[in-house]
Amino acid sequence: MKYIKKVLGEDLRQYTMIVALAALIIIFNIASGGKMVTSSNFQNLISGNAYVLVLALGMLMVIVIGQIDLSVGSVAGFASMVMAITARQFNLPWYVAILIALLIGMIAGAWQGFFLARLGIPGFITTLGGMMIFRGGVIWISNSISVPVPSELKWFGAGYLPEWGPAFTGMNNSTLLLGVIAIAVYVVAQMKKYSHSGDVTGKKEAFWPFAVRIGIVAVVIGYATWLFGSGRPGTSFPIPGLILVILIILYYLITERTSFGRHVYAVGGNKSAAELSGVNVRRTYFLTMLNMSVLAAVASILFVGRSTAAGPADGTSWEMDAIASVFIGGASVSGGVGTVIATMVGGLVMAVLNNGLMLMGVGADKTQVIKGFVLLAAVAFDVYNKKNRG
Amino acid sequence: MKAKKVLSLLMTAVLAAGMLTGCGGGRGTEDTTQTADTSAGVEETADAESTGEAEPDEAGASSAGSGIVGVALPWLGTQNWAEAEVMFKEQLEAAGYEAIIQAADQKVPQQQQQIESMIENGAQVIVVGPVDGSQLGSVLEKAKDAGVYVIGYDRLLENTTGVDGVVQFGSVKTGELQAQALLQGLKELKGEAPYNIELFGGGPADPNAPNFFTGAMSVLQPLIDDGTLVVVSGQTDFTQCATVDWDNSKAQSRMDAILAGNYSDIEIDGVLSPNDGIARAIITSCENAGQPIPVVSGLDAENESVEWVWSGRQYSTVAKPTNALVAETVSIINSLLSGNGMPATDVTANNGVMDVPIYELPPVVVTKDNAKEVFADDPDRMALLKD
Repeated sequence: MKYIKKVLGEDLRQYTMIVALAALIIIFNIASGGKMVTSSNFQNLISGNAYVLVLALGMLMVIVIGQIDLSVGSVAGFASMVMAITARQFNLPWYVAILIALLIGMIAGAWQGFFLARLGIPGFITTLGGMMIFRGGVIWISNSISVPVPSELKWFGAGYLPEWGPAFTGMNNSTLLLGVIAIAVYVVAQMKKYSHSGDVTGKKEAFWPFAVRIGIVAVVIGYATWLFGSGRPGTSFPIPGLILVILIILYYLITERTSFGRHVYAVGGNKSAAELSGVNVRRTYFLTMLNMSVLAAVASILFVGRSTAAGPADGTSWEMDAIASVFIGGASVSGGVGTVIATMVGGLVMAVLNNGLMLMGVGADKTQVIKGFVLLAAVAFDVYNKKNRG
Repeated sequence: MKAKKVLSLLMTAVLAAGMLTGCGGGRGTEDTTQTADTSAGVEETADAESTGEAEPDEAGASSAGSGIVGVALPWLGTQNWAEAEVMFKEQLEAAGYEAIIQAADQKVPQQQQQIESMIENGAQVIVVGPVDGSQLGSVLEKAKDAGVYVIGYDRLLENTTGVDGVVQFGSVKTGELQAQALLQGLKELKGEAPYNIELFGGGPADPNAPNFFTGAMSVLQPLIDDGTLVVVSGQTDFTQCATVDWDNSKAQSRMDAILAGNYSDIEIDGVLSPNDGIARAIITSCENAGQPIPVVSGLDAENESVEWVWSGRQYSTVAKPTNALVAETVSIINSLLSGNGMPATDVTANNGVMDVPIYELPPVVVTKDNAKEVFADDPDRMALLKD
């Protein structure tokens, strides 16, 4: 037991969710007769849920500062609708369309940030207003009719990495390259951690837990690479997944390695203490809300790319999926706690549940009931854990 | 501390179990037996379900045609979709197919994922009643790439090349019938022209809605121009008359506002309504405003409206017998899965990317006079027509 703990590290919570995720995948794979763990299903899983996971990245930071953003779905719908309509009206190329969507996200975020940070109106109220304003806006400008988007955008929502190089690998070489890079980065990071492990205490940690960890992660990534890369020719690790991975790395670095990231946690943990120690609380609030809405615009681009059209109901209740992912990932309702990786695991738990139940032909009604129970169970487990620790 | 220990022990167990099963999946021989076992298990439960309903199904399944058919419906919130779910299950299983039927609760992302899971489950034909006909583009193209036939049901699938044909009731024709029934009712019940009328349209996201309205206006516009019909509110554009999401309460609010603003000293004679739910909302609004009940058209022959037609509160509805639409769809599926391809049709509609073959069925106007004939084969609705 001591050994396992050494491998996994001290934060049990996070690994419990990873184990739960793995268990879910295995159980569903058995229950569906092997339909869960297939190349095409995992590609579906990623491209069908990337937009929620992107939203969850922003929502994590919003929840960590102790706020909530109810408007993300509406902002996403609004950004993509404005994009679709202007692109169609003026025959704009796709990259201009994307810039327009991001700009709309930025303006919407600045609007929300202004009310929260400058006027001190609680995020819940600000974004409840935003939710109505932007949803109404979508229906208004679209007349409730869905509008096709430039066909190039399909690449962002349903595209695949290019095929190249030798065929003897038996899989998509772009995906293979990605997998190799991922393993290499992890190995380097772990080795670095190991060589620095004695810097403070003067006592070097044992090497074997690092080795075991590297082994496990390499096997998992290797398997995933094979899974995504060995599907029907022309398919690979999906583009929306690639965008998601890039964003995960970016936000991992922002939250863990930058002063802005530390400010976010400081403000969420204890606002007054943060203020007294010189953190600009208003600025942190503003930037976090701004960031959320920009990510909402990114999510909407992924979604309309997949849908090939922007619709009047796009984004409906997306905020709830994002919020659920963050809390299943162990964030605290009172703010200050939560990590990017755990949030992604939380989002994937929801996604796998959804996907697995669908494969088994369980209706949307029951799926929703089950998801509700999972959310409650995850948070209850968390609260129970904390009580016992304190 | 103790709780923590127990917890980690538990976790270890789960982890170990997970790894063991994971390894089992990796080895070739064990893997296949496992899959075979579980798939047998799945079939067993499926059988148990069908026997629960009707025993002959099982015999039919083993003797008749075979194949997996997916049916993706937008939701089950109106009677015609709820009926479609039941009828597809019955008719597909009777024809010997395995049916995967899922409803998407009016959510586009959900429907996209449901269609993908149908492809994963090996469906050879997928019938799609879309939430939004233009937002399934890449998913339907994925189905096409996987060699799956896609048949649109009741609504056009737009903005995609991944569609093989659409089965629907002629939507322009439906609108014409609604308008003719309205005129007939006005002549019958409201004396001499001119008549005061108002116009309602359906949900703009549904590609049928503008067609209904166009069909109706092709009949009504000449009479509006010559003064026989007077649209008192002046709202005659589809965008003005549309009812977002086919939401009855929105239609009722609009009718309330129109009556309050325009009908304080005159009577309303007739209203063009795109479906039954909206028709009842309109009639309720008129009753609340103290107006005599106007002549109102409808669509779908929902149970409540059939009663209202029978009792004279709603003048007419248009029946689009779900049974016939499902039967037509199943006959196309039969043709596809027996290797005969799509049946021939001379009607096509452009979906923005390609011309889609359309299989049109004629709808039927229902008034109090002909209700008994129309529903002669429909015991559920006949039961509503009490003397």
